[in-house]
Amino acid sequence: MDTNREDISIAIRSAFLSKGTKQRFSLLALIIISTILIFIEKIETKPLNYVRLLINDTIFKSSSVASLPYKGINTITKKTKNHFNLYDNYNELKIENSELKNNILKNNFLELENTQLRKLIDEQTSSKSNFVSARVMLDNKSPYINSFIINAGSNKKIKNGKAVLSGKNFVGRIVDVNYFSSRVLLVTDLNSKIAIITEPSGHHALLSGHGEKKPTLEYLPKDHSVRDGNKVYTSGKEGVFAPGIPIGSVKIEKNIIKVLLFSNLSQITFVNIAIKDLTESK
Amino acid sequence: MDGFYKKEKFNFISLLPIFLLFFISLNGNSVVDLIYFSISIHYIIVYYWILRKPETLGYGFIFISGIITDVIYGSPLGVNALSLLIIAAVAAYVRAVTVKITLITDWISFIPALLITNFIYFLSVYFSNYPVDYLFILKNSISTFIFYPVLWVFFSIIFNFLKS
Repeated sequence: MDTNREDISIAIRSAFLSKGTKQRFSLLALIIISTILIFIEKIETKPLNYVRLLINDTIFKSSSVASLPYKGINTITKKTKNHFNLYDNYNELKIENSELKNNILKNNFLELENTQLRKLIDEQTSSKSNFVSARVMLDNKSPYINSFIINAGSNKKIKNGKAVLSGKNFVGRIVDVNYFSSRVLLVTDLNSKIAIITEPSGHHALLSGHGEKKPTLEYLPKDHSVRDGNKVYTSGKEGVFAPGIPIGSVKIEKNIIKVLLFSNLSQITFVNIAIKDLTESK
Repeated sequence: MDGFYKKEKFNFISLLPIFLLFFISLNGNSVVDLIYFSISIHYIIVYYWILRKPETLGYGFIFISGIITDVIYGSPLGVNALSLLIIAAVAAYVRAVTVKITLITDWISFIPALLITNFIYFLSVYFSNYPVDYLFILKNSISTFIFYPVLWVFFSIIFNFLKS
């Protein structure tokens, strides 16, 4: 029995303490360093933040270089696929074009009517948001967080919490700012909760991400009249994002109110970041 | 000339595990996450090579690779590094107590390795106030365990090549 116990302790010692075969670091020492790092992560001090920014920026740059061959292969595959789907796409676009032409006339009338009505109630019609454009550096699918990295950070006056748009559509907000890069938390992430308003029903609700492609609407009133195809916009109720940024359209699946996003999150190359928002313009 | 060529070839192949380790970290492919499967390739690489040929993967490299994964995935700094080091520690322990290494013994000993590692991962994420996806951890543990023999066969070919 004693021999058994000794054997185990020798095995543990050889695994953890000794540097073993050509190892430069002791495993136990590295485990302790990792644990310390986890605790340090919670501490917010200026020198530590600078170190964090440096580490993040260096790794993001290295990662964008290392993933170039991978991206190249993906681009070639996509181009080949697109080439083979050219005829189908052409027919689809033809139909879409004729529908859009019909809608333009309707939209012009609605826009005119909208401006007149807004003037009538003295509402500010022009947006005060200023935008900064950035390129998506890394869009690796993480099992922990639905996000991507953009190539603009505090050097472009980007701050935490700012709205991120793909074209004119809302896709997420900034959660982590480095000097040359930032992390965008997408609306599909588990931690994403955005105050929205539905149109034309006009209900206020929260757009909640679940790590899946379609976020859902929560805290809608019981007697709501939200239907398939209703549009979803930011409400600006939380006082951070500008109101009326388009997000997506409602799609009800098995009595769950989901939102089909206007932007395809996996196809985004450039984004706009609203560097001045409601709180600052006030 | 022939000797030099053989030596270079050996050097290149012996660097393959490190190359793979850093390639998947930098590309964000440490965890292949599909709808029903989620495989931690990182865990398998570390476990296999520490068990069979520890001199090919330094603990320092494993630590740095974990830190890179943390930054790329946006998890708290140190979480993945700690998980990888724990799996390396279990592999080093198994290596010290076993004599004969076969696929079955490797595969069975991989179960406690995965359980301990994912438990440590859960603890570190939980105490960092990050949301814990329990279903993901379960799915990941099961899929990684099932997928282990596939990579075992692939790595064994490289291992036998290095031996010869």
